[in-house]
Amino acid sequence: MLSPYIPMLTTIKSIVSENGVNDIKTYELVFKNKEDEEKFDYIPGQFAEISLIGKGECPIGIASSPTEKGSIKFTIKKMGTVTSAIHNCEVGDIIGVRGPLGNGWPIEELKGKNIIVIGGGFAFSTLRSLVYYMLHEDNRANFKDITVIYGNRNCSEILYQDDLMKWERMEDIDVALTIDCAEEGWDGRVGFVAPIVEAVSPSPENAVAIVCGPPIMIKTTEDVLDKLNFQPEQILESLEMRMKCGIGKCGRCNIGEKFVCIDGPVFSQAELRKMHGDR
Amino acid sequence: MKEKILKKDQVKQLHEDLSRYYSFYAPTKVKGNIVFKKITNPEDIELEYLNSKIPPKEILFPRMETLFSYKIDEKNIEIEPRTDLEEKILIFGVRPCDAYSFSLLETFFNFGQFKDDLFMKKKENTVVIGLACNTPRATCFCTSLDYNGHPHRKDDVDIFLTDLGENYLVNPISETGKAIIDKLAWLSEANNDDLQKAEELSKKAESLISTKLDLQHTAEILDPSFNHPLWKEVSENCLGCGTCTFLCPTCTCFDVVEDVDHYNNRGKRVRIWDTCQFCLYTLETSGHNPRNTKIERCRNRVLHKFNYYPKNYDLIGCVGCGRCIHLCPVNNDLREIIKKINAIKNENKKEEVVVA
Amino acid sequence: MVKQMGDIQAENVEIEKKMREVARSLLIEKEVDVIIGYARGTVPLSSSPIFIKNVEDIDSLIWDNLCYVNLARYVVPPLTEFVDNEKVELKVGIVSKGCVARALIHLAKEKQVDPEKIKIIGIPCNGVVNRRRIEKELGEKEVLEISVSNDQVIVKGKDFEEVLPYQDYLNELCKTCKVKSPPMSSSLSDVIVGESIEISSVEDDFSDLSEYESKTPEEKWEVITELLSDCTRCYACREACPMCYCNLCFVDQNKPIWFGKTSEMSDIIVFHLVRAMHMAGRCVGCGACSSVCPMGIDLKLINRKLEKIVKERFDFTAGLSLDVMPPMMTQKMEDSEDFMLGEH
Repeated sequence: MLSPYIPMLTTIKSIVSENGVNDIKTYELVFKNKEDEEKFDYIPGQFAEISLIGKGECPIGIASSPTEKGSIKFTIKKMGTVTSAIHNCEVGDIIGVRGPLGNGWPIEELKGKNIIVIGGGFAFSTLRSLVYYMLHEDNRANFKDITVIYGNRNCSEILYQDDLMKWERMEDIDVALTIDCAEEGWDGRVGFVAPIVEAVSPSPENAVAIVCGPPIMIKTTEDVLDKLNFQPEQILESLEMRMKCGIGKCGRCNIGEKFVCIDGPVFSQAELRKMHGDR
Repeated sequence: MKEKILKKDQVKQLHEDLSRYYSFYAPTKVKGNIVFKKITNPEDIELEYLNSKIPPKEILFPRMETLFSYKIDEKNIEIEPRTDLEEKILIFGVRPCDAYSFSLLETFFNFGQFKDDLFMKKKENTVVIGLACNTPRATCFCTSLDYNGHPHRKDDVDIFLTDLGENYLVNPISETGKAIIDKLAWLSEANNDDLQKAEELSKKAESLISTKLDLQHTAEILDPSFNHPLWKEVSENCLGCGTCTFLCPTCTCFDVVEDVDHYNNRGKRVRIWDTCQFCLYTLETSGHNPRNTKIERCRNRVLHKFNYYPKNYDLIGCVGCGRCIHLCPVNNDLREIIKKINAIKNENKKEEVVVA
Repeated sequence: MVKQMGDIQAENVEIEKKMREVARSLLIEKEVDVIIGYARGTVPLSSSPIFIKNVEDIDSLIWDNLCYVNLARYVVPPLTEFVDNEKVELKVGIVSKGCVARALIHLAKEKQVDPEKIKIIGIPCNGVVNRRRIEKELGEKEVLEISVSNDQVIVKGKDFEEVLPYQDYLNELCKTCKVKSPPMSSSLSDVIVGESIEISSVEDDFSDLSEYESKTPEEKWEVITELLSDCTRCYACREACPMCYCNLCFVDQNKPIWFGKTSEMSDIIVFHLVRAMHMAGRCVGCGACSSVCPMGIDLKLINRKLEKIVKERFDFTAGLSLDVMPPMMTQKMEDSEDFMLGEH
């Protein structure tokens, strides 16, 4: 039995700065051992414990899609001790990865449905993974209409601009990008995510809304979805909490009797309403 | 298999025989506190004790434990897994409540997709020799718990000892225990008087447990009581230290830190005991803290043991040892908290009557 | 000033009665909204801090030799919020023996409590019994009852009774305590139960430290290591200390990480010694840290040494007066610097 606390080693293959202020970067990692890559069998919405040996570990959502073979990607914002240290890393440096962890987006349940992906700011990484996955030629037929609504404070903070530009040009996906305030050169939508969702007005018919973003955006978007007649079972969210082990042992990420790391991070709004706990 | 007799002066012999095969842990007195330590000199074993201050869980889930070590060589990193988990461990003189805590911890660490290999391997290699509790404290309440807790409970050990005064009655319980007893050919046979005496002591010990708590409905009462004013009340004088949790035989929370030896380019990733009573335990990097005040933190401790454990593992996360009660610096008594919780039920009932 | 030993228990009963009267009238007259005091513990050798808002609960207030928690701890944010349902701040009355009042005075100097919002119910204290020592010495015999009579501590269990000399079984810091009652201080709104004392400076020969001070640095290191070796890092000492009110303790900081959080001896010692540095000129010698330690570690040696250094260098004793600026809050050109480099 290999210890679940021991990370697999990867090498940084590329680093892409994702925003104007340069505090969000996407790291592309390649496993040092081929077997590790096979073991790392994930679905969109899962996360991994990323570690810099000697500095520590932190949970990060997987930004790549399992359909992107050969490497995995993590979009990391410079926040605390570990993420700051990772931001000092260069291509070729070694990063530890434990995972995949968590339940991920319920792919089987999403099949045959219209999918509305709603994201705000930095919280788009596992949504990117999901959209990328659904658009893959092997999977596209499993899903009906795909709509992406993604908001940011300004256009320099929009993640994955290459992917989004590609998606915008595609026929089988609707993309609505928005920024909070008008900017010179921006010809997309302007306004917070919730009113844009209301304007796009997706039908709840055979649909699932997947919402990720800062708490206030989640709250206002939930209200809009409710108004649009989405049932709590049709709304999925991914939670964040302080974590250490990621495997349900260290204790701290509980909401009531559920552990975000193993029972989540993905919960439906219906499940969340039933959960009594601190969050 | 028949019961045996171990004379008190033969404990030395027992230690000598068994420490050849096992790392022999037993209660010993260190600066006035009873703690379980690896025993090299059998004179240090202290069996006339109420219960240890730090529970013997410390042997299988230590205060600080290496998850793995590593060597950093320029840009290369080499990870070294633990290699010392095959050590054969024998824990001698464990009280029944603490012996049950091992079973409880096993349920927890073995639960779900990810097993805690460190605990599980050590547990697998551990032999437990229990010691009947003839002198329960006023704060003990094992008999109130769902595991048929009893000061003479034998279920969670390999061999069970009862202090008969001059001698210990030796009960082999598990197959491992029987095999060990087989090897200790010098043990004498127990007679009917010994068995009867043990039986009497067991009844007497049970009668000495004065704390009786009704825990039958506590879990279900707690379900709708998340926002009850009770939590403010019971957390009012809490100082927010970690005594109740650090000295609890069932608490398992840990933090993970790096212990780096920069001079030698080596390091260890270690886990250390952590507690839900600390503000930092849940503080997120963003500054948000889901359990920002002691109200939420005190509530989490009680709910974890008396509501979340029953929901997740179908057992109460408490063994009834009473350590948190008599060691709390401000005497925030768990028994009183349970009584207040149970009183909510009556509150609810009264409301029902009014509504009817 | 050694007080003649009277019947300590009778004295305490008398104080308790008067304290309840004072507390009752403070609540009735609405001079305070809540009274912080001590209640009887549910286990022997304990007491439990209690917050009384209703007059009918006044009789839960007790006063005996086991009132060891420093209640000033509770008025320092963010531990307890004393506000009513409309979030209006409540006026608090605190049962204060000498060291509680000293802590409040010092905290007022550090602008952590507003003296206007606090009423001291002053109590002349005759010392706190060292419960951890009693526990350790009788540890494997469970104490079920404890009483103090004349100059004896009587502890009883299932089939034993022990009589211990009171003076020996006092908290180490109570043995050297010179400020048993709240120091009179014009700007604190006090009600004193019993006699008040006026004190501006304390005489102390610190003779209890001479044995430690005669040791070599290596021996001293050994003493400190041995003293702290049982620490489980539960931080009860810190949490019970009225002076440990930092939002984020140095030991918990992770940007940067100053000290390791492991239970390696080096990390444990660093925690205690760096905490001690932060206590210099601030520790009021209440001994709460020692009383609450579940492992029975007595930090009095460190606390006394700090007190001595500050007394010698700055002629200052913490918490005696609102009119004197604590040395760690001010700087004078003539301040000596040798405490930084001297051998202790």
